[in-house]
Amino acid sequence: MRFRNYNFDFIGKSKIWIIISLVMIIAGIAGYFIQGGFNLGIDFLGGSLMEVEFTRDVDVTEVRSVMNDIGFRNAILQRTESNKFILRTTPINTEVKNEILDSLDEKIGTTGTLLQDRNVDPGFGKQITKYAFIAVGIGIVGILIYIWIRFEFRFGAAAILALVHDVLVTLGVYAILNREINTSTIAAILTIIGYSINDTIVVFDRIRENTPTTRKLGYIKVVNDSINKILSRSINTSLTTLIPIILLLILGTAALKDFALALTVGIVTGTYSSIFIASPIVVAWNNRFPKYKK
Amino acid sequence: MRNKKVHITIIAIFIAMISVSLYYILKEPINLGLLKEPINLGLLKESINLGLDLKGGTQIILKPTERGGEEVTTQSLDQAMFIIMDRIDRLGLSEPLVTKDLSNNIVIQIPGEKDPGKAKEIIGKTAQLEFRLVTGTFISIKNQNWDTLKFDYEKGELVIDPDAEKVLLVDDINALVSGNLYEIDGELLSDPESEEMLLVKYSGEDNQETDAEVSSTGDGSEINVDINIDPEKVIGKIIYKPETRELLLVDYEDGSETGEILVDSRTGAATLVGQVLLTGDKLAKVAAGYDTYGEIRVALSFKDEGVGIFKEITSENIGRNLAIVLDEEIKSAPYIKVPITDGDAEITGIDSIEEAKNVELVLQTGALPVNLHEEEVTFVGPTLGMDSLNKGLYAGIIGFILIIVFMLFYYKGLGIYSALGLIIYIIIFWGIISGIGAALTLPGIAGIILTIGMAVDANVIIFERIKEEIIKSKSPRIAIGYGFKNALRTIVDSNVTTLITAAALYRFGTGPIRGFAVTLSLGVVISMVVSLLFTRSIIFLMSGISRINTPGFLGVRRRSSE
Repeated sequence: MRFRNYNFDFIGKSKIWIIISLVMIIAGIAGYFIQGGFNLGIDFLGGSLMEVEFTRDVDVTEVRSVMNDIGFRNAILQRTESNKFILRTTPINTEVKNEILDSLDEKIGTTGTLLQDRNVDPGFGKQITKYAFIAVGIGIVGILIYIWIRFEFRFGAAAILALVHDVLVTLGVYAILNREINTSTIAAILTIIGYSINDTIVVFDRIRENTPTTRKLGYIKVVNDSINKILSRSINTSLTTLIPIILLLILGTAALKDFALALTVGIVTGTYSSIFIASPIVVAWNNRFPKYKK
Repeated sequence: MRNKKVHITIIAIFIAMISVSLYYILKEPINLGLLKEPINLGLLKESINLGLDLKGGTQIILKPTERGGEEVTTQSLDQAMFIIMDRIDRLGLSEPLVTKDLSNNIVIQIPGEKDPGKAKEIIGKTAQLEFRLVTGTFISIKNQNWDTLKFDYEKGELVIDPDAEKVLLVDDINALVSGNLYEIDGELLSDPESEEMLLVKYSGEDNQETDAEVSSTGDGSEINVDINIDPEKVIGKIIYKPETRELLLVDYEDGSETGEILVDSRTGAATLVGQVLLTGDKLAKVAAGYDTYGEIRVALSFKDEGVGIFKEITSENIGRNLAIVLDEEIKSAPYIKVPITDGDAEITGIDSIEEAKNVELVLQTGALPVNLHEEEVTFVGPTLGMDSLNKGLYAGIIGFILIIVFMLFYYKGLGIYSALGLIIYIIIFWGIISGIGAALTLPGIAGIILTIGMAVDANVIIFERIKEEIIKSKSPRIAIGYGFKNALRTIVDSNVTTLITAAALYRFGTGPIRGFAVTLSLGVVISMVVSLLFTRSIIFLMSGISRINTPGFLGVRRRSSE
């Protein structure tokens, strides 16, 4: 493998990158409204959930018709395997659950054991949501303070904007695909924040290191050179991180796949934003409030 | 030469760490049968303390609320947790874990392949046993017929037929049923001004002299009576306390509690009872069984102190009914014929012997000092979790191999170091998880797989720097030194930010998310230590051997690219 010295002009084309990002975010927002909001899981909305194993392979229409017959038209059905289904309803008690199970057993045939069984009080879901927001908020503020101390405020602000970008894009993908958002998704989003910041720091670190050469080269050239220098590291790290995550997306169970999807999207946008969003913001900031001059 | 000694010491420390890790990983008895599998997953699984979502089990989250005006304190919460532990032990459920979460909810984890079914219902039962005198039963009159009033527990209100002409309080419902002598003690009316629900004295059939007109809002929840109420006749007003879910009768003037409306479990009728005269904490013995007629019952006997009070109550109230109330529900209300002096009582009105045994168990363990509301109940079967664990581990193993192939392909000789570093990383990681007994959860698996990818990152940063230095025509040995030095700051800064995220997750996350935060931060710290100390030392030591220390070995074709 040949070692190459890249020399791409990242900053000069920054308008293009920002348009690409805006298009992705707007697509996500459009998806949000078209799908009628996020597909929030039982963790947030409360309700009852059962995973049933049937004695044979069944399709959605068959399960749906049984559920309709017993008056659960609004139940959400999710096929996890050819003979396994997750049934989600409004909060119901054990007796009603047993009625549903009896009907399914009678009409289709079940193995009689539940794979999982959950009841979440809607009030509790609100509490989970509250803590999710607090966790994201505290995480972001902590990161901002750290970068402020280690670098400069402008770097911290640019990194946070890149983070917001990553979170918006990831949530947009969830809205467009109408995938369920649960507590695992929140953990995944926080991980993305950690990962994306990690990537951004590597770029900023190079910019910080090369800043003394600004007088000779100009700030735009400094930033461009820095990005080019870390390009192969960024791509390689993203690849090595993505390898196991994509395997999880292919091989994992439904719950693991949920997690892996958010991480895959987040790692890709995280890598993209540290190069194409965070760095141009730093340059734009310097253009407006020049600190480093030629 | 001094440097060399340092590097050898570091490597020796790592060998010691690996040995300790391997000890913890291998400590569990090895099932030889499992070795026949191509990859010994059984060994990996047995050395780790698995979370409920992986091994299967039940998690119950209970939110404490104040009971009887007593606020929830750390002390009452701890006491409640102790009682819950006791109940789970008596139920014979294995290895329960009772903890508090961030919002002071009680979190109960019971491992087990089977859904514990009814057991989960009685764990959080308040089990407050009270003895209170029955004041009367509410009935509604409609077209010359009467019916008992029902009670909506969820809404905490009386269900009143919108067409009812009037709602009355009858002192002895059994007498009314059997056609014996009974008295009407009160009438339920709605104050047209304050819309308060009032209980007023009933003065006979001709109480309607003021042309009382009953109307209803239609939802059956209240009746509006267009009538002037004589303040003299008001017994009290009825108020609902949503925080404790109590429907109380209070004094009209000073608001002091004089009674409570409870549901009779046998008839479902709304019954007014007086104040609490005796509670379950005065019990000495509780036994579920059958009485001489073969009826299911729970026999109670009081401590000396309780015997005296019970004797006093029964001798002063002959001819009245004494309600035995368990968790705000009237179980039975026997008629007091003679004073009871031996302190024996019984609870009847129980449907099955299992229920009687549950009542026995909860009364034996004592009443909880707080009320508990079921916030979340989750049961995960063992197959589902094991499936995730197996698939997660396979994804990790294949990912691990692919990463090593990639590193060897791209960084040539340096790739060998990163492969070695990655293997050591995984051994130490697994050893620590086994050693500290942290529970591995489903998001935890994802965390581990993510950190495998991230663990390589430090190597990538270092190797890229080394390559850069070699391009600048530095000798490999010097390039390695500069490479590590330049990479150090980047690696520390980038990993600290990840740790900040993990800390936020740990502090505010629930259950499995915390497991994820633990694996993520462990992974970040271990990978940093391994690449900055172990990989560095091994590369330095090996760089002394000139044959394997050419630019080509380090993945650079010198000058050919410039």
